[in-house]
Amino acid sequence: MEHVYNIDSQLQLLDAIKANNSVVLKQLYTANYYKIEALVLKNNGSKEHAKDVYQDAFIAVWKNVKNDQFIPENETALQGYLYQIAKNKWMDILRSPSFKKTKTIQHELNVLDKNIDQNGHEKNEEQEFYRKRLEQTMEAFKNLGAPCKELLTAFYFDKASLRDIADKLKIEENSVRTKKYRCMEKLRQLALASKK
Amino acid sequence: MYGKTSSVGISLEKIRKLKNNSNFTPELLEAVERFDNGSMTPEERISFENQLKDIDFKALVEDIRMTLLSIETQALKERLDEFHKEIPENRPVEKSTTKVRFLSFSKIAIAAGIIIALGIFWMFSGSSNEKLFNQHFRPDPGLPTTMSSSDSFVFYDAMVNYKQGDYKTAISKWQKLAVKTPENDTINYFLGVAYLADKNADKAIPFLNKTIHNTESVFLEDAHYYLGMAYLKSDRKEEAIREFKKSGSEKSNDLLKDLQDGVSSYK
Repeated sequence: MEHVYNIDSQLQLLDAIKANNSVVLKQLYTANYYKIEALVLKNNGSKEHAKDVYQDAFIAVWKNVKNDQFIPENETALQGYLYQIAKNKWMDILRSPSFKKTKTIQHELNVLDKNIDQNGHEKNEEQEFYRKRLEQTMEAFKNLGAPCKELLTAFYFDKASLRDIADKLKIEENSVRTKKYRCMEKLRQLALASKK
Repeated sequence: MYGKTSSVGISLEKIRKLKNNSNFTPELLEAVERFDNGSMTPEERISFENQLKDIDFKALVEDIRMTLLSIETQALKERLDEFHKEIPENRPVEKSTTKVRFLSFSKIAIAAGIIIALGIFWMFSGSSNEKLFNQHFRPDPGLPTTMSSSDSFVFYDAMVNYKQGDYKTAISKWQKLAVKTPENDTINYFLGVAYLADKNADKAIPFLNKTIHNTESVFLEDAHYYLGMAYLKSDRKEEAIREFKKSGSEKSNDLLKDLQDGVSSYK
């Protein structure tokens, strides 16, 4: 039954991730970082590289969990998945021409696994358009004014209810609803205006 | 004028539509939210799904979802930076899957601990010269193993084995290099000290003797000292004293003192 229980705990973990449970996300993040740091440091990278590649991988895992694209097969499946994605990303970076130009690749890189599934490399135009819009909107959200940013984060990321937010801001629930919409409108306009 | 409707046209047209779109209403936003979190009544759901058959409507809904995903992703990204600050400074000891190139301090400490412990044990056994040897002998600390390029790789690779106390592996790797460059004082020196550390004084002696042939060698002083140690271990006291005198290093002088006054009391 141990096995079942463990899979069960993975499923609980997935639910917590889907709900953006900050405690769980933080635990997952901090507990698995050093494995990646060790890998990157041993393969020509810096701590800064490790952090970037790890965060990218973490976000990719989070997205796949959200979309039910990840199904755990054992009790540490998610942790292993996170490691694998981060590793693949780092290998991609090492193989990229821009990286090779700045750093001499040491022989041991050739030894590393080359049969890595690099899904998403052949993006069609539709996907490319989507990806660009997503990036633009993220950038716009990053630079959005603090009141809007906090409200949207509380509602969409932390899944706080309109009621909770209203209590916190000491305003009517309906005003929160209106504000939320206005903020969304503003964000969408900002994103469309960007010409990146 | 508006003739360009090929590939790029799709995206441009989309943007134009989204920009002009006044269909983004509070009601629609909430409908998307409720549809996605499953809080719609079955009737509402069916009605919404019917509306989605309209391509333009569907595109707008997808775009709203994209906006929501952007918010969540960016919010997560910013939170990760906060998490990062809370990663404990003391990294856990991971068993590494990749090659270990640098010796961790703990490994050196453990190795040193074992050597000292064995040293103490040996002190209570063997002949007086053997005792003196065990009391004084510390393997040469070796050279820092820097990540260096190609040709010296084997040398430093063996150095890692040496530092880990795996003298036999280090010896077999250095032996191969010694075949290529038999007069290299560095390789001869480390082969000598590795054999000695591996308690094989007889094999150590010829390599250390080769090292001292090169009177310019940076290892000269230490080579005389370890050669003396090798003789001492082999109970060849006179030769040991000769080498310690030639060495003149602090360690050698300590040993000479012990040999002259200490040993008499041993006997």
